[in-house]
Amino acid sequence: MIEFSLQVEARIIRAVLPELGKLFALSVKEEDYSDHFPDIDDPDFKEAWIEGLKQEAKDDRNALARLLKSPRLKYGRVEVKEDEVEDLLRGLTEIRFTIRKTSLKKLSDEELETGLADIPTKNPEVQIGFFAYLLMAEVQERLIQEIS
Amino acid sequence: MAFEILSSTSSSPLLEEKTELDEQLGTPWKVIVLNDPVNLMNYVVMVFKKVFGYNDTKATKHMMEVHEQGKSILWVGEREQAENYAYQLQRWRLQTILEKDD
Repeated sequence: MIEFSLQVEARIIRAVLPELGKLFALSVKEEDYSDHFPDIDDPDFKEAWIEGLKQEAKDDRNALARLLKSPRLKYGRVEVKEDEVEDLLRGLTEIRFTIRKTSLKKLSDEELETGLADIPTKNPEVQIGFFAYLLMAEVQERLIQEIS
Repeated sequence: MAFEILSSTSSSPLLEEKTELDEQLGTPWKVIVLNDPVNLMNYVVMVFKKVFGYNDTKATKHMMEVHEQGKSILWVGEREQAENYAYQLQRWRLQTILEKDD
């Protein structure tokens, strides 16, 4: 088991967890791998490719769901089984893409990459989305450190 | 030897088809990763190491290319292996395309 504590205030975690639950449901609903297929003219291959990605993404989401449901997460504690780490890393990336496309859609790529978005001036949806985005990045970053 | 026999019948449709197939199979394909604003730098480095077995230096060099130039060619070679790499990279949610290496 890999275990660590996040360097994030528990009140912030508790504030963003309900939003993360909603975003998680949204990521399942809006999954779309159709633009992932390489530009090759082969419909059967394309279908198999997309279906493969969809099926494998289920394990990633299950790992993320377990993290989000963990009662200790609201206190900043992350616990992951070692054989679920890779699934969770991918699941975290997927939900960050969902947040990017929804709550943070009005921010530019540059604002996100540099972290220079003037968040206090943004509306509450963007603020909560931004903290959820950062929280998921923090978990991912720490997990990568743990397995390196 | 098969090539010599076929090359003596240069007007055959079979030959044209065969030549086209040979060209497709023989043409190297490039596996290219595109920049995105979401994935963390150390995540991208980790994925390159896992998928290609690159060491830290090489994986970091490619990650920086993606970050600074918008894309990096990660691998060039036979189509089937290129597809395999592209699939694995997409499994890790990296924006990946394949291009013929003309």
